[in-house]
Amino acid sequence: MSARALFLSLAMLSGCATSPLPPGTQVPAERLLASVVPGTTTKAELAAAFGATKTVVFDSGYETWLYQSPAGGGRYAEFVILINPQGVVAKTRQGPVSAPQP
Amino acid sequence: MRPLLRYRLSCLFLACAATAAAQAQEPPVATVKVSTTRDPVDKSYRKMIKGMERFEREHAYAPAASLRFQLLPRTPDVKMEGITLRVAGDTVSVKVNVEPDNSFVLPRNEQALREDAAVLANRKTTSMTWRATIVSPGLPPGTRRLGDMRLECRVGVEAGLVSNSSPMFGWLSDALTGADDVCNSPKGNYLFFAERPVFAVRLRAGERSEVLPFSFLYAGGGLPRTELPFCDCQVLLDRTYYVPLWDASWPDDTLVEFDYMRDDAEVQP
Repeated sequence: MSARALFLSLAMLSGCATSPLPPGTQVPAERLLASVVPGTTTKAELAAAFGATKTVVFDSGYETWLYQSPAGGGRYAEFVILINPQGVVAKTRQGPVSAPQP
Repeated sequence: MRPLLRYRLSCLFLACAATAAAQAQEPPVATVKVSTTRDPVDKSYRKMIKGMERFEREHAYAPAASLRFQLLPRTPDVKMEGITLRVAGDTVSVKVNVEPDNSFVLPRNEQALREDAAVLANRKTTSMTWRATIVSPGLPPGTRRLGDMRLECRVGVEAGLVSNSSPMFGWLSDALTGADDVCNSPKGNYLFFAERPVFAVRLRAGERSEVLPFSFLYAGGGLPRTELPFCDCQVLLDRTYYVPLWDASWPDDTLVEFDYMRDDAEVQP
């Protein structure tokens, strides 16, 4: 590769940086525990109650949503929700406690 | 940093591809007919043997385990049944037996080493990814052992198995993905694949037990869909996870436990 081509490649490389990902939306754990019921709560209800948050969507149709609950001392506990292809909460899990997720 | 790093590598690839395309439009100086060629990203037999030698040197991570390699799907359309594998040099060709789970043991062949042979499958190389598989006997069902995974990482990187790397920017990948760098650093990015789509991963060592953060799942959970083709987790994203190989506070005998998206193993999402 010529020096010019290498320069162009590096210039493009420097222009490809992504902006930081949005954090998981912060919601008190009590609200999540009281409102999110596996087998019942729908994706639409989640979005309406707590707003959009960090989400991973898979080819299978499943999705995982990440909310963060204040846990004191500037730290946050994860609340992760699995949504099935029918758009209904299938599972939830809590923890661990850490600094806010990027 | 993990998604950003991978994204930058992808961008470099695209930049280099664009440069190559521009060069391709220039008039050819000469034409040389080559009857056969090796795919530049087929696995190097020498490198895989180096991985096997590293396994022997660092067997203490998994004293009771043996080493196998395994082929995994990388693109959505690849057929994973009936795969055949051979070691091919200039004059030597050695058949490698592939088990139904697409795992295999690589035989040692001095002539193939001398001829700098390649390990070839009867599939497009970029349609699959490769991993070392090291599993200690006697583990509780559905669990893994951290020491086994530490050794898998070292062998896998030494053997050049992760198919994200390309010789096109080998100078860069070598700087970033030496086995000691990858396997001893929180930024090492060595991906593991669970047997089924995973919802949570937990480490357990004696009385200590911790669920891994969301950022340890799904290649960090931040890969844009357009970037997935540059990750060898492309079709295994829901099975993908990191473990803290670098964290010496977790002993080699730490068990890695899984909570899957579906509890029934028969019906996959």
